[in-house]
Amino acid sequence: MLYFSLAFRNIFRNFRRTFFTFLAIAFGLAVLIVMDSMLQGIDQDSFKKIINYETGHIKIFYKGYEKEKDDFPLDKSIPNPEQIMREIRKLDEVKGVTSRVNFRIMLSDGVDQLPAIGVAISPQDDEKVFLLKDAVDKGSFFEGDEEGILLGEGLAEDFEVEVGDYLTILTRTRYETYQAMDYRIKGLLKTEDPQIDWLAVVIPLNIAQDALDMEGAVTEIDIRLKDPSKVEEFRQKLSEQIKGVEVLTWKDLAQDVLAISKSKYSFSIMIFCAIVLIALIGISNTILMAAFERTREIGVLAAMGMKRRKIVMMFVMEGAMIGFLGSVVGCLLGSFLAFLTIKYGIDYSFMMRDIGNIGYRSTGIFYGMWRPGMILTAFIFGVVVSALVSIYPAFIASRMEPTDALKKV
Amino acid sequence: MSVVKMEKLFKYYHLGKLEVPALKDINLSFVEGDFVSIAGPSGSGKTTLLNLIGCLDKPSKGKISIGNEDVSHFNSNQLADIRNYNIGFIFQTFNLIPVLTAYENVEFPLIIQGEVDKKVMREKVMNILKEMDIVDLWDRKPNEISGGQQQRVAIARALIKRPKVILADEPTANLDSHIGEEILKLMYKMNQKHKVTFIFSTHDPMVMHYAARLVKLHDGEVVSDEKKH
Repeated sequence: MLYFSLAFRNIFRNFRRTFFTFLAIAFGLAVLIVMDSMLQGIDQDSFKKIINYETGHIKIFYKGYEKEKDDFPLDKSIPNPEQIMREIRKLDEVKGVTSRVNFRIMLSDGVDQLPAIGVAISPQDDEKVFLLKDAVDKGSFFEGDEEGILLGEGLAEDFEVEVGDYLTILTRTRYETYQAMDYRIKGLLKTEDPQIDWLAVVIPLNIAQDALDMEGAVTEIDIRLKDPSKVEEFRQKLSEQIKGVEVLTWKDLAQDVLAISKSKYSFSIMIFCAIVLIALIGISNTILMAAFERTREIGVLAAMGMKRRKIVMMFVMEGAMIGFLGSVVGCLLGSFLAFLTIKYGIDYSFMMRDIGNIGYRSTGIFYGMWRPGMILTAFIFGVVVSALVSIYPAFIASRMEPTDALKKV
Repeated sequence: MSVVKMEKLFKYYHLGKLEVPALKDINLSFVEGDFVSIAGPSGSGKTTLLNLIGCLDKPSKGKISIGNEDVSHFNSNQLADIRNYNIGFIFQTFNLIPVLTAYENVEFPLIIQGEVDKKVMREKVMNILKEMDIVDLWDRKPNEISGGQQQRVAIARALIKRPKVILADEPTANLDSHIGEEILKLMYKMNQKHKVTFIFSTHDPMVMHYAARLVKLHDGEVVSDEKKH
């Protein structure tokens, strides 16, 4: 206990030096916690939006569609969606099934034209899989088979249109003939998913199927599961059950976000390593200076019969204590900042539209996420690594010969 | 019985390629209860001799025994054990641990020995503080007490583990003569009471005067070994 108490008192002998070392650790860990919270939050938020607005848990394409999906090949549509959906609805794991037609369009107000994506949905089934209905910010969702479109708010801003205004959709049918349709804007969507808010024009499925000569075909069938964790098993099961189609999970379809997430992690790990390195050099240096300042004291301890490993232990304990204090404050500060990002987020909306779609499904506010495991890891890391980097200077201290140490003033 | 015995003891230091003799052919023996002063001019080898007796350094040649154990070839851990149980140190500049109180400074050697019973330690520490007449200062840190009081704490720290021998390197050099004499009287009292061997290195005639045995060194050799009383 006295060793512990001695180490604790020793770290405050040079308060300023200890304080700055401790500050470096606290700052490093706080940055780590906030950064991790933000990065995980952005990932999870993106995944949630992809599932809720774009893919559901499972998506079924006609064979060969996925490869060309960026070209929206309407000729690779599922010809008999009702039959497949009926089979799927019978399965216990399924919460909801719907079908969509995605098609490339030019949107025009008669003066300007912008490229966009037509998303034809079945209003009755869509809400069983997606959350578009809840994302209607102005106007209203489709009721029955009425004509009209729901427009992403970003697009509405670009065209400076409101609910009730008309826009023209220019597209090609399944047989590559040109088609132009005028529709009244029924509602504006605010999902904070740029794929929807900046690009989507949502239209009732039956109207789109007529206009695109789809003859009842759809480009995709979307499924929401009762238990999202079973998505891979369910994909396997469906692949064996339904022939002539491609069954994909949301993860297969979110490769863009997953790829960004991976590259972003390697970058953030580099930043993190730099911060931690600075903090750790700080500790190592602090312990080394403390050892040199207390050379004579080390000599006295050795003269009293203290063994080298105990002298090492004493200095390592000091390093661990600075690490402990820094980690406590770093974790508290990091948790507080993470709490602010979770509750209020960081609003990048002023610049997001200029940056454009970077892959993340966010139009402006990035929210953090609670990661208690990470906070605990950061804490343990802070203490353990601080102790570890103290070993070398402590070892140097312990190697001093008592006679030499006692000569130092 | 000898507490410390040195036979044909040599110590050389190396200055580059040069071998400088610090002690030459030392044959000395100290018994329980000795109160010895080792005197001599600077560079005569007093501190080197004290370091060898204190197991802080190893001889280049010859044999040194503490109690029954020949420690000449002990490794650093074994020497640390010998210091831990058999030898106490009193330094010229007191060398108390500045962040510890007087009580904790005195308690520390017991902790190094592995004593864990708080009650036993408390009793021992308070008794020795009483003997040193500094029990009221138990909670003071070294910078809150005078030089004389610090040296009393240092003596208590050296005595607490009941060593065979206490080595004091110029114990009065940093004290005024009045306080120095008090400290010497105190050490003599402890020597008489506990039968602990005290070995001082000194230039101070007053210390030599108090010593029961006076060993004089010159150029690393014993030039006289005189029992005074």
